[in-house]
Amino acid sequence: MRRYVINRVLQVIPLIFGMTFISFLIIHLPPGDPFSKLQMDPQISRETIQQMRKLFGLDKPVVVQYFYWIKNVFTFNLGTSFSYHVPVSFLIKQKLKNTIALSVFSIFLTWFISIPLGIFAAIKNGKWEEKFLSFIAYIGISIPSFFIAMLIVFFVAKTAILPIGGTTSIFYKSATGFEKFIDYLKHLLIPGISLTLAGIGSLFRLMKNNFLECLNSPYVITAKAKGLSMSKVYYKHTLRNAINPMITIFGYELSGILSGAALVEIVTNWPGMGRLILEAVLSQDFYLVMASLLIGGILLVTGNLIADILIAFADPRVRLR
Amino acid sequence: MNILEIKNLEVSVKTIDGNVKILRDVNLSIGENEVVGLVGESGCGKTMTARSIMKLLPENTKIDKGEIFLQGEDIVKKDEREMRKIRGGKISMIFQEPSSYLNPVFTVGSQIEEAVKGIRDKRERRERVYKILEEVGLDRSIYFRYPHQLSGGMQQRVMIGMALVNNPSLLIADEPTTALDITTAHMIIELLKKLMNSHRVSILFITHDISLSVYFSHRIAVMYGGKIVEISHSSEIFKNPLHPYTERLIACLPERYRKGEKIKAIEGEVPDFKSLPPGCPFNPRCPYKMKICEEREPEERKVGKSIVRCFKYGNTVEN
Repeated sequence: MRRYVINRVLQVIPLIFGMTFISFLIIHLPPGDPFSKLQMDPQISRETIQQMRKLFGLDKPVVVQYFYWIKNVFTFNLGTSFSYHVPVSFLIKQKLKNTIALSVFSIFLTWFISIPLGIFAAIKNGKWEEKFLSFIAYIGISIPSFFIAMLIVFFVAKTAILPIGGTTSIFYKSATGFEKFIDYLKHLLIPGISLTLAGIGSLFRLMKNNFLECLNSPYVITAKAKGLSMSKVYYKHTLRNAINPMITIFGYELSGILSGAALVEIVTNWPGMGRLILEAVLSQDFYLVMASLLIGGILLVTGNLIADILIAFADPRVRLR
Repeated sequence: MNILEIKNLEVSVKTIDGNVKILRDVNLSIGENEVVGLVGESGCGKTMTARSIMKLLPENTKIDKGEIFLQGEDIVKKDEREMRKIRGGKISMIFQEPSSYLNPVFTVGSQIEEAVKGIRDKRERRERVYKILEEVGLDRSIYFRYPHQLSGGMQQRVMIGMALVNNPSLLIADEPTTALDITTAHMIIELLKKLMNSHRVSILFITHDISLSVYFSHRIAVMYGGKIVEISHSSEIFKNPLHPYTERLIACLPERYRKGEKIKAIEGEVPDFKSLPPGCPFNPRCPYKMKICEEREPEERKVGKSIVRCFKYGNTVEN
């Protein structure tokens, strides 16, 4: 088991190098760079632009630039943004926090609601409870997250029960620690609930189908033939097997922390990474894009790593090969 | 007294086209310490008979009529709570593919221990599992193994141990050797024979292999189209098969194959329960077909010590 974990952790390192290298090449593929726009300005001389390119190291081959970049990353220097002229790490710090808060909040809520509902629906399969829930889930899947967000924003605007947009109210600076937390949470509710509502449907369906599949497995017949109670058949024999594929899904969910919320963030005006990344890509702000790709990549890889390790704990067929 | 007595059992399954009867008028009894073989082609209702006795039928399937007496008590009338005590207690079951009938995520020991009834003390339960593991010819250390770490034969031994841990009166073995190779199958049969005597358990041995059934069982019931068409003593059935279907089954055995011959099979197909022919279900494949066979279903009839459903032996109902 320990060897398996060490092996899996070591695999992560080349994966991150490869991933950053390829994305570095790809974002340099389109013609032009952040200074191309300046060439149109007659007031700026060619020499100045050349000098700036040299200053930022853009005159060197892409591969060399990559190694400069990766060297800086190891000293926690993610480079400077071309559009904002401030360090990338400074730029993304607060926005990253907001995005992570939003994603973690909605992922937790989504799982907390859809897993029990999925199990319940699987047990009630074919009865009206299951049909009703599946119908609702079907509607939930077909409505895109940003549309749900718009509906919620509209509803809140009419009733004024929650603050809309931003992360803090005017009185935030004078508030105590606990009040600050509550205020932040209130602002988090609109985007958080939008994301949750959009995610419940598909996760519910996955859980329901997993559980149903396990419920039809031969070992469930064995468990019944032993004379076990239905609660043991469901919550011990079936659930322990039905939860395994969900662990893998959970790993992928973690990788979506950064980008999964982008649309909802823009619609509900939540100051997260979504809009920042979008604008960075459009203006070819290389280092800002690379920083978000790096974080996204690390999240994806560690998400899968955690899932693989959890699966090894949950499934002896993986653990004891 | 008989351990098990099934009387006029009828089971039907609900489909989109309406109710389809899959077991019709099944009568079968199993005596104390007796092995009864239940033989027939796939899809003739053997497993459904077994599942009816456990009252573990699929959701859309139910018992319409009949009685199943377990040591004199009719279990058809019993509710789920009472059945839970009987399952794994008085009746237990082993299955065709032990690899998929064992839960992959729990140790085999804990799966046996879970089945132990009537012992509260944790250490005593554990001791009980160790004892049964040794009885089925496995080492104590197997307790901590997971199913995927064991061979098919060992897995089936675990299943047998799990089934016998509460000393049941009846063991239903649903094709327990079909998924195993011939040597392992032989060992499992020998183990069942040994345990049958030490545990004083009766066995309903379900198989499609009539020669294996003759080797292991005292009596053999042959099933066709959801009905038992013949019940004979196993020493009689090879010498003197009564029902035309039994006769054809024995004629088709690979042991009777001579080099150069065409491989024999019963002509025609196993009938679908939705479109059983009128009269005797075997009549389209029967070489002795008479006019009456298409008109009426034959009743059970005693011929010597055997029971048969065939108009060859007259068409009046006896006893």
